[in-house]
Amino acid sequence: MSEAPRKNRKQVVEALHEVAAEMHNRMQRGEPPKMTLPVRSKTNISFDNKLGVFKYGKNKTVRDATKLGSARQLLRTLHITEFIEEMIDSEKSSTLREMYYISEGWGNGKFGSQNESNNLAEDLEIVTKCLREDFKLRPEEDGARIIGNITVEERNRRGEWMRINCRDDVGDSGYGVPYNVEEEKLRLVDEDIDFVMAIETGGMFDRLIENGFDEEARCALIHLKGQPARSTRRIIRRISDEWKKPVVVFADCDPWSFRIYASIAYGAIKTAHISEYLATKEATYLGITADDILAYDLPSDELTKQDIGALEAELSDPRFNTGWWQEQIKLMQELGKKAEQQSLAKYGLDFVTDTYLPEKLDTIGIGY
Amino acid sequence: MNEAEEISSKQKQASIGEFFEKNKHFLGFDTQQRAVITAVKEAVDNSLDACEEARILPDIRVELRRTKSDEIEMTSQDNGPGIPRDSIEGVFGKFLLGSRFHAIRQTRGQQGIGITGVVMYSQLTTGAKTRVVSKVKSDSSAVFVDLGIDTKKNKAMKSSEKRDIWIDERTGEEISHGLRITTVMKAKYQRGKKSVYQYLRMTSIVNPHASISLVVMDKEGEIIEEGNWVRTSNKLPRVVEEIKPHPHGIHLGTLQRMLRESTDRRMTSFLKHNFSGVSSRAAKEILGIADIEEGRTPKRIKPEEAKAMITAFQTVKLLKPPMDCLSPIEDLLIKKGLSKAIDSRFASTVTRDPAVSQGNPFQIEVGLVFGGDLSSEGPIEILRFANRVPLMYQQGGCLLTKALEAVNWKSYGLEQPGGSGIPKGPAAVLVHLASTNVQFTSEAKEAVSYNEEVFDEVRKAMLEVGRGLKNHLKKSSERKKAKEKFELVNIILPEISKKSSELLGREEPDLAPVITQIMNAVFLEEELSWNKESRLSMCSVTIHNYTARARAYTILAKWPEGEGTSMEFNPRGGRKEAKGLWAWRLDTLDPGSSTVLEFGISGLSKGDWNETDIFFRGNGEIIGATRMDESLLDEQRKAEALEAAVDEVRRSSAPSEAIRERPAEVFEPSASTDWFGMEGDGQ
Repeated sequence: MSEAPRKNRKQVVEALHEVAAEMHNRMQRGEPPKMTLPVRSKTNISFDNKLGVFKYGKNKTVRDATKLGSARQLLRTLHITEFIEEMIDSEKSSTLREMYYISEGWGNGKFGSQNESNNLAEDLEIVTKCLREDFKLRPEEDGARIIGNITVEERNRRGEWMRINCRDDVGDSGYGVPYNVEEEKLRLVDEDIDFVMAIETGGMFDRLIENGFDEEARCALIHLKGQPARSTRRIIRRISDEWKKPVVVFADCDPWSFRIYASIAYGAIKTAHISEYLATKEATYLGITADDILAYDLPSDELTKQDIGALEAELSDPRFNTGWWQEQIKLMQELGKKAEQQSLAKYGLDFVTDTYLPEKLDTIGIGY
Repeated sequence: MNEAEEISSKQKQASIGEFFEKNKHFLGFDTQQRAVITAVKEAVDNSLDACEEARILPDIRVELRRTKSDEIEMTSQDNGPGIPRDSIEGVFGKFLLGSRFHAIRQTRGQQGIGITGVVMYSQLTTGAKTRVVSKVKSDSSAVFVDLGIDTKKNKAMKSSEKRDIWIDERTGEEISHGLRITTVMKAKYQRGKKSVYQYLRMTSIVNPHASISLVVMDKEGEIIEEGNWVRTSNKLPRVVEEIKPHPHGIHLGTLQRMLRESTDRRMTSFLKHNFSGVSSRAAKEILGIADIEEGRTPKRIKPEEAKAMITAFQTVKLLKPPMDCLSPIEDLLIKKGLSKAIDSRFASTVTRDPAVSQGNPFQIEVGLVFGGDLSSEGPIEILRFANRVPLMYQQGGCLLTKALEAVNWKSYGLEQPGGSGIPKGPAAVLVHLASTNVQFTSEAKEAVSYNEEVFDEVRKAMLEVGRGLKNHLKKSSERKKAKEKFELVNIILPEISKKSSELLGREEPDLAPVITQIMNAVFLEEELSWNKESRLSMCSVTIHNYTARARAYTILAKWPEGEGTSMEFNPRGGRKEAKGLWAWRLDTLDPGSSTVLEFGISGLSKGDWNETDIFFRGNGEIIGATRMDESLLDEQRKAEALEAAVDEVRRSSAPSEAIRERPAEVFEPSASTDWFGMEGDGQ
């Protein structure tokens, strides 16, 4: 199940042509062209019992050419299709940002913003059941950094497989995860760890390395860099699947961090069509929890207006519809406070590795 | 005895300086910030009045320069008729407390202390003389003179008088006529809503025929603020006729004074000669009710009898006062004036018909501008004017503001938190009260006092411009929708078709049925433009039938029909349906076809015509046009027929009434020129 289904070039082109054909067929029948998509919002994601992750539900949205905005989207979709075909033919790839700039030459099919081009690329993934990689489109967002005693093989730009130990063969910045972490590019070779810890902020990631936490606790540290990129989520999933190691998430205590965790453990709303490849349902939220603010008497900040809105939205997000999350969110609303990972420094630089993490890990049964 | 004498006799010992000191709050010199505004206002108002009277398009330059921390030198220069040498002392030195209660007409000067006050203020606060340069066209040289005021004798003192050629500092050319005043006073310059800048900006709005500039400098001569408002119209305001007072607005004191000064021998002729709206029959009736013999001498009428006359005035049916004593700015010029000072997308203006309150003719004008550079944050800007003079203070206490606040602006498309008060949004409203007798809440003359008739007229005018705005907003949103649809079917859809066909290697589909399905309506788009070669204001109406059935319509368009305009270009013919409304019957429009209807109006300038309404008759709706309301049209036709009949009668009964001509560029200040502007009833 972990293996992402890949299509060959012919299949990808065929799938894309189906989208164009639906439009063309309708015009031949004298009807406005259209495209049907699942609704991509929190109101239309539900838990898939079989897969154990959140997927899009049954609500569909029709994008048809009866309104100017939608018609433009259809035209852009056709331009993307053409562009992808060209890349497949010439064996090139481009970043999403490059595609956004290339669209400058598409006249009326030009994108209004990069967000729009990203969304349309995702739309195409959804309707064609292909992956972004099949389209030769790359994100420009940074992948994660990893430090820990694991060994991978990455196929470098000369096509050779390079063996890298993520503790011994890397500098302080760790192993940089490439945008494509599928089997054809990256192999997980060897490990000597007990668990994986995904960390939200760079400051905390560096603190744990300086304190030698990866070796002491026998874990791999992954820096998420805020909202984790697809490749970051995918590699966590592969480590979890292939090496059967527990995954814990260590983040700030604020509504946005909760969403980071949800995208790792349950699937992100924007990519719910591929949740089964990206989400790691075994991942545990370690902290910082709202309880911790009280239990450790952590320095905290007032919730902003945006924070309060985000918490409110999470209460009705199906992914947070568990007793534990509802409690945490409500507690946070009551406190009216949030806290950063680095607020643990109140008790000294070693407190996080000497006291906080051991205590927290102990509660979920990971001792060292 | 006139009022000036009355006052000076009452205050025999008190100097005029003390009088000034005591009353400076209502003379406009109470604060140093306000003093400079008042000084500029007096100078500029006089310049505008003088130019108007002499039929000269005004060019006015105001320069303010700080000389000490609390002193400003003001220079004001115009291209008016100038003041003849012998009248200079009279104009600048004397407190002429409006002796002209027989003559009523709308002037700016009614609203200020007059230029004498500026000379006085300058002298009292800095001891400085006011330097005057005056050039009359018929003289070969200009008069240069310094003026001060002898406060004991209440007259001007001239010094250093000389005659010389006057060379314009800016252009280096000799000035053929004009006036320049330079004076130093204790004052402080202030920016913002209550500033000289704002005063001149507002003045330029209601005087689109004037070019006004302002330069403000600090002690070092650095420019700290400047403004330049160039004339947008070459049309001078109409010459206003003087009218006699109407009995409905007369107070006892004034009546007694008129009786005392009358040279008439009989009461009947006194009434007929000194009042407007009084016929022989009415005069007899008034005297009958007041129980006064017709042959009595006016001078001998006793106070009780005068009182009885006042009562009788209210019971006898009288003609309305004549209205040509008013000088409205008029719709088009309001638009031009507003466009001079405010960049906006849309202007709706209305000039109401003149009305009468207590015997005083008055007229309300309102202009509303919307969009463009106007800020959508905060309350709208309100520009108040009385007889073309900006009112800058006491906005909240002014009738003009209150009438605006009483309108439910929400229903016209402006935000109005709480449902009343000053609305919010990217708009500005101009309101102008033209009247022979503007009633203010106080002597400061900054807020118009409550009057039911005036309030009602202002409110009605606001509703009218409000409707204009609502219509505009509705039309813009419809137009936007229509534009989007056109772009969709004419540009995007064909590209979708082309691109998908290319990708699939298929034939392009026939899009006509797709377009019909997407649009499924008849669309109309009008466009107004200016044709430089033919000098015509063009209107082009495009109608597309995007339905599956053939359609037949009659299209009606509003156009600015009036004196001087005509439908010069009209290849489709059609016919006039009512005033300013033309109709064309179109051939049947087949599905998927479109047609263009064009016509051109002569007699307008570029930018004069920028909004019209299109109506239709026929089956099915048209997006972008309104179905003709036939009952409204009938009403309008009836009203027009009635008006035409009344005109006919008037023309045959008064054939000899000619328009009074004024000689150009001759200006003689007379006792009737209200320099001091303190006239009014009941003083």
